[in-house]
Amino acid sequence: MTVTVNGRAQEAAPGETVETLLERLGLAARYALVERNGEPVERERYGATALEDGDTLVVARPVAGG
Amino acid sequence: MNDPLVIAGRELRSRLITGTGKYSSPEAMRDAVVASGCELVTVAVGRIDLDSVEEAITDHLPEGVTLLPNTAGSATAEEAVRIARLARAGGLPDWIKLEVIPDPRWLLPDPVETLKAAAQLVGEGFTVLPYVLPDPVLQRKLEAVGCAAVMPLASPIGSGSGLKLRHTIEIMVEQAEVPVVVDAGLGAPSHAAEAMELGADAVLVNTAIARADDPAAMARAFRLGVEAGRTARLAGLIEERETAEPSSPLGGLAARP
Repeated sequence: MTVTVNGRAQEAAPGETVETLLERLGLAARYALVERNGEPVERERYGATALEDGDTLVVARPVAGG
Repeated sequence: MNDPLVIAGRELRSRLITGTGKYSSPEAMRDAVVASGCELVTVAVGRIDLDSVEEAITDHLPEGVTLLPNTAGSATAEEAVRIARLARAGGLPDWIKLEVIPDPRWLLPDPVETLKAAAQLVGEGFTVLPYVLPDPVLQRKLEAVGCAAVMPLASPIGSGSGLKLRHTIEIMVEQAEVPVVVDAGLGAPSHAAEAMELGADAVLVNTAIARADDPAAMARAFRLGVEAGRTARLAGLIEERETAEPSSPLGGLAARP
């Protein structure tokens, strides 16, 4: 299946979760923030949130700012 | 002196909040944050560039500081609420520096959208600290919807111009029901001291520290400026006078008629 992460198509295996996707992309940083199909995903649910074909994800994190 | 700043029931020892933007390196940022003595530091929320996953800024911050995420990049209430929700869901604190800035030239905040977003976020359980133009009427409305502090700008972000809107900030201080944090435009420790002398509860500084030749030294200077201004405020400043008042006896030893 295919999901979109920050505007880019990514192949994902069946059973992929937010957590495994982040790990695969090298994004398992302490503060990866995830929005799935426009809705924020609770950190505690990263492991339990299974991706579906066509999902659109935004992955963000804290950056320098004032 | 035990004189904590209290925001939303939380006691903070430092009345200086610093930003993490515009530093030449993460190390310079870290050293400045340590030297500032601040407990709250602002961060923005940004999309990760999948092509260059750099180190996270949070890896460079000293232990013990609390992140204050902002909603930078929002031009509408809706965008600001989206960032706040994303930040909290992902494990950042539920304190949010609410900034809704539609205009890239002056970077002035939109009061209507800010109030709308503030009401929404307070309703969702956030501790909301809105960045605003100094406006005592807006301040009352933000307090009424439950904001934990109000953060008026001294002058435009990054300008270093100091308290260009001093009088309206004085009105805000006089009527404040929640802390007033002067945010943006403070270019020198004397500006920070002036804000504290007029009764601001705290200040937020970023550019003036980050862009100094020696950010850590400037962070310390701002810390001292904030402490000086706060101490002077509590000590009671004298009234300004139109004329002189001698500090020494005028007679001296001369016999004058």
